[in-house]
Amino acid sequence: MALTLLFSLGELSYGLEIDAIQEIVEDQVLHYVPGACGVLTGAINFHGRVLPVIDLPALLGFPEAKRSARWLVLSPAQNSLVLTVSEVKRIVALDLSTLQRPPASLAGKAVRGVIEHDSQQINLFDTLAICAQLEDLQP
Amino acid sequence: MRVEISYKFIIGFLVVVASGVVVNLVVPFLQIAPEFQQIFTITCSLVVGLVFGSVFSRAFTANIRRLTTAAARISRGDLAEDVRISESRFPDETSDLASAMNQIQQSLRGLVGEIRNLSFKVASSAQSLSGTSMQVSASAQEVAGTVDQISKGAETQAEMVEESNRRFKEMAVSINLVAAAAAKLVHAANQTVETARSGGALADASLGSIRQVLAEVESSGQQMVSFVARLQQIGTFVEVINGIAQKTNLLALNATIEASRAGEYGRGFAVVADEIRKLADSSTTSADEITRLVATIRSEGERVQSSMAHVIEEMESGREAVDRTGQAFTTITQHAEGTRVKATSIAELAEQQISEAERITRAIDEIDKVVSDNAAATEEVSAATQEQSASMEELSQAAKSLSVLSESMLNIVKQFKLVEKSRD
Repeated sequence: MALTLLFSLGELSYGLEIDAIQEIVEDQVLHYVPGACGVLTGAINFHGRVLPVIDLPALLGFPEAKRSARWLVLSPAQNSLVLTVSEVKRIVALDLSTLQRPPASLAGKAVRGVIEHDSQQINLFDTLAICAQLEDLQP
Repeated sequence: MRVEISYKFIIGFLVVVASGVVVNLVVPFLQIAPEFQQIFTITCSLVVGLVFGSVFSRAFTANIRRLTTAAARISRGDLAEDVRISESRFPDETSDLASAMNQIQQSLRGLVGEIRNLSFKVASSAQSLSGTSMQVSASAQEVAGTVDQISKGAETQAEMVEESNRRFKEMAVSINLVAAAAAKLVHAANQTVETARSGGALADASLGSIRQVLAEVESSGQQMVSFVARLQQIGTFVEVINGIAQKTNLLALNATIEASRAGEYGRGFAVVADEIRKLADSSTTSADEITRLVATIRSEGERVQSSMAHVIEEMESGREAVDRTGQAFTTITQHAEGTRVKATSIAELAEQQISEAERITRAIDEIDKVVSDNAAATEEVSAATQEQSASMEELSQAAKSLSVLSESMLNIVKQFKLVEKSRD
């Protein structure tokens, strides 16, 4: 069983193990980054570190979705990134042994696997895929 | 020189005696034989006596004859000529007689002339009387016809007077009805005035009540406004609570993440964090419910406010209506007052009319009596006219006989001859 933070991107429910999360922040002062591409909203000062804020719905093809005021600060072990999501939900315990391969329709949506929770499909978020996509965006 | 006949006889006798004496005295002187002297004397005396007597008697008899002739003529009715006797140097009784006869004749002439004139007058008067009586008779006939008409007219008059009387009595009944109706109207108008006054008072009272209610409703509206403001305050409090719950939720999430990172040491902390999250969630739920409730209450309050505004409007219009009702009651009162005044005057006029109608009825009764008297009088006049007509007939007859009488009197008087035929 792994504690997972549930959030949503557009209509889809995502889950991310809390080990990969440093902190959930709110009402941060967003600093403008000159010359940044569209998905890089800006940067914040997080406990003395400057972290880029990535517009995840825009990156994953949900440009019309709403944006939550709560952002996810990923743990430095993963990536020093701040992700905006549509909505931060709650932390639940998921049995990752029942993880299934994501269907083809979720290709490019940073889904590592699909799991059933409370008769609801949760897409397990793939931080590595995000990193790869961000690297692809580099000019 | 007037000498009476007896003196004339005496004178004659004396003349004869004197002549005898003279002859006796003269004879001796005449160479008449004495034996004839006596005879001669006698003869002379006789002659003288004869001559004297014949002259004297002739004149006397002539006068007597003339008088006799004149008397015969007068007795025949011829009064034309005067009685004339020969002029004499010594008039005697014959001339007295003649003048007396002339006086008689004169008187008779005047009398007969008078009678004749009177007869003429009587005849013409009788004639005119006859004509007049005829006219009077005709007039009496006309009067009789007129009186007949008057009699008929009087009957019609009597009928009409009776009809008038009947009509007037009916009219009096109608006027009585009018008076009764007017009295009822006065009563009704009085009641209307009373009712309208009490209605006006009620409308005033209603207005007062409505004003009171309006004031209360307005103060309720004020209370509602402050109530809604309080609700808004509650909303801000709820927002604050919500914010705190959100913050708490975030803190719980981060505490869970921290606890997870602490491993075994953080397990108890994780439970606390979960409890805190649950509390924050229930706070959020409660706050949401409060928000919903506040929203519901607010919409209810707004509905109440709008319905209050509506009620105020309606009450305003109700107040106006009651105001108008009060004014209408005032107008009704005024009109009813006017109606009462008019009805009172109608009633008074009807009373006057009743007394007038009674007076008229009495007058008509008197007229009826007069008409009856007139009818009776007319009948009397008719009878009198008939009597008059009969009298006129008699008068006419009398006038005719009078005419006849005057005619015959004229005929009789015509036997008297007053002037010469040529002058007649």
